[in-house]
Amino acid sequence: MPARPTPLRRAGPAVAALAVLAVLAWLPQYYGSTQTALFGRAIAFAVAALGLNLLTGYNGQVSIGHGAFFGFGAYTTAILMKDHDWPFLATLPVVAVAGLVVGAAVGFPALRVKGLYLALVTLGLAALFPDLVTRFVRGTGGTTLVQIPKVTAPGWATGFAPQDDQWRYYLVLAVAAVLALLAWNLVRGRFGRALIAVREHEAAAATVGIDLARVKVSAFAVSAAYAAVAGSLLVLVTGLANAGRVETFQLSIDFLVIIVIGGIGTVLGPIVGAWLFVFLEDWTKQVFPDTPLLSPALFGVALILFVYVLPDGLIGGARRVTRRLRRRPPPDGTRATPHPEVNPA
Amino acid sequence: MSRIVSRPLGTPTPANLRAPEAKEPHMHITTAHSTSLRSRRRLRRPAGWAALLVVLALLLAACGGGRSEEKRTDGGDGGDGAASELIDTSGCASDPSVEVTGDTIKLGTSLPQSGLYSAFQEILRGEEAYFRYVNEELGGVKVGGKTYKIELVNKDDQYQADKTVQNVNGLINDDKVFALFNVVGTKNNLAIRDLVNEQCIPNLFAATGSPAWGNTKYPWLLGTMLVPYPLEMQAFVDYLKQEKPDATIAVLRASDDFGRAYADTLKRLVGGTDLRIVKEATYNPEVSDTKAQVTSLAATEADAFVLGATLLACPNALQAVREAGWQPIIYMSGTCTSKTLMNIAGPAADGVLSVGSLMDPNDPRWASDPRMRLYKEKVPQYAPEADVTNGIVAYGWTTAAFLVETLQSSPKLTRLAVMETARTLDVEGVGLQLPEASLSVDEDDWFLGEIFTMVRYDAGKGYFVTEGDVLDFSGKTRSITPPDLITG
Repeated sequence: MPARPTPLRRAGPAVAALAVLAVLAWLPQYYGSTQTALFGRAIAFAVAALGLNLLTGYNGQVSIGHGAFFGFGAYTTAILMKDHDWPFLATLPVVAVAGLVVGAAVGFPALRVKGLYLALVTLGLAALFPDLVTRFVRGTGGTTLVQIPKVTAPGWATGFAPQDDQWRYYLVLAVAAVLALLAWNLVRGRFGRALIAVREHEAAAATVGIDLARVKVSAFAVSAAYAAVAGSLLVLVTGLANAGRVETFQLSIDFLVIIVIGGIGTVLGPIVGAWLFVFLEDWTKQVFPDTPLLSPALFGVALILFVYVLPDGLIGGARRVTRRLRRRPPPDGTRATPHPEVNPA
Repeated sequence: MSRIVSRPLGTPTPANLRAPEAKEPHMHITTAHSTSLRSRRRLRRPAGWAALLVVLALLLAACGGGRSEEKRTDGGDGGDGAASELIDTSGCASDPSVEVTGDTIKLGTSLPQSGLYSAFQEILRGEEAYFRYVNEELGGVKVGGKTYKIELVNKDDQYQADKTVQNVNGLINDDKVFALFNVVGTKNNLAIRDLVNEQCIPNLFAATGSPAWGNTKYPWLLGTMLVPYPLEMQAFVDYLKQEKPDATIAVLRASDDFGRAYADTLKRLVGGTDLRIVKEATYNPEVSDTKAQVTSLAATEADAFVLGATLLACPNALQAVREAGWQPIIYMSGTCTSKTLMNIAGPAADGVLSVGSLMDPNDPRWASDPRMRLYKEKVPQYAPEADVTNGIVAYGWTTAAFLVETLQSSPKLTRLAVMETARTLDVEGVGLQLPEASLSVDEDDWFLGEIFTMVRYDAGKGYFVTEGDVLDFSGKTRSITPPDLITG
């Protein structure tokens, strides 16, 4: 048996996480409301990508329909707040549970279809959702736009969040931190191992006693709940819920791009990916205001590059670099840049 | 795209994409060197965190700071010296009676420049051409005896309302624009109207014909000169009363607020006449395929067909009508009167009725009109990539001209003065506006674009021909429109 990790080693990730959290908490103190809204968006996207990554990265099931779960959460929160005067935080448990239920409902067909076909089923979900919204939601001015009452900072919070947008950002950050921790624990426990085992080899997983159907449906449910709560968080940032076909489909693709860029099958990957994604989108807009097509083109190119050069995303790439710097040979005898054909699954 | 994405995401997962946990000893079903794996795992963590920090640092380096410079957005210190009878300024977050210093008027706009609705970016080209012309040849805009150059900051929102909010926040807080100009889209303007109301920033000429711009709770938002959708229906009902007073009508409308504005108004207007709506069908505005609906409507053999649709659904429905062998009198939404859409419809668009308040750049009748000549000379000069025959460019040019007119009519350059001026304006002959169509609003009438003509598309000539006299519905929009479409 190898030596146990020293206490310091074990505390490492916790210290790093706290450091990052501290930086994130400091941001709205320094930056203005426009940037703070942008950071809030990045965090909401990170939560949705965390959820998608549980499903796609850890469990190997593809979804191009997460924009629908996201929109579902957004509308649930917005309608509860606007029409029923609920406070924001009270809507979250409802959104999470409803997300679990809807996700499980979608997960059942996923038991029968895989890969490309599953992608198509979820794509159908992204296509269907805006129709449902158009049919059932009557928001501002008769449109499908639902605007929430302004969420203001409570009196006791004025010390650290004198402005309302700062308070909203802290709410988003707090919820996201809890969800990130939850995801981190989840993938390190029994459930996480089961997810991976099912992804790697279903028959083998079943042989060691894993209930395939239960794991797959749970993966869908949890993943959908994450996306739904992420939708609620974005409502808090932007003050509105809205879902057109374009938005829903675009979000679904955005989340996929985020996990590919960040690193599939890691907890940090989607977080890094989301920040980079939101930052790049905004940055290209500001630096090249007269070439609006640059941003989508850039992401297209980045995606292709990532698939070829950094197939394991930024996180995977960074890990390989540090390994090389320490001049340790790759542990299992493969090349430092593994290719599928030399290291078959 | 899908091919690229599906490869790493599909099953079986390539080994190089595997999660670190997949290589934990007890999980590795094939082989595992547990000691070396353990050591590798230890090394991975810092790398991941380092990557996260690098990304954060990059992001921060690119963003400007500035929390300290910001005003509280929820305070109410506005309007001490700005007693206004037209607009209540007591709740303003910033004082709207502060005069602009410097010699530039900074305006902001948000509109789709990429994505499905990117065709609307032609509006921006028309606007920019006009502003450049004013800045370079006329020296700028004269307000209250001083001359200012116009600067237009544009942002892309892909027609997504939440991005419009983000853009407008940036335009107000970071770019510090004086006013918003010609923000495109009904939802997009609805999403920002609370914000502009709080900040007391003029949102001039929200670029849709939605009747919601008549809502008196939002004095800082003024709609554009597009004909309000309910008025289109009034014009067509009047037309039918003349031509075929006992006509049966079939309606195809988008299944959203836009389509509802047509159908609800029409229902209201046919009450008490011999006109009769025999069937109404809806289509999904994001699909644009209307063939099934048109086929079922054609079965009614109604005398008239109202098309409350926009963009590609218009040519699609027109072709479906032709294929069904149905020959009703067709009325099509004014939002579809573009050369591009009519070219798609081809001969199926011949004879279609609609409304317009601008001179059609393709109509030889206007070729010698000085305002049309100016447009055709300056647009290629200042926006060479724009197509002068495109009605969307003509619209952008005209709104820009209208804005300059508004600014020059304002006694001084404050937000309040400009907004008050816009709310009491009465001008003629601006941009490519029809010679007879004046633009006017006052205290009780918040709608521009109430004077227009009916037009009929001539597929042989390739442009819209004026049908009948100029129609003047000044001050009528509010009484024609079902109230919940305005205040909803």
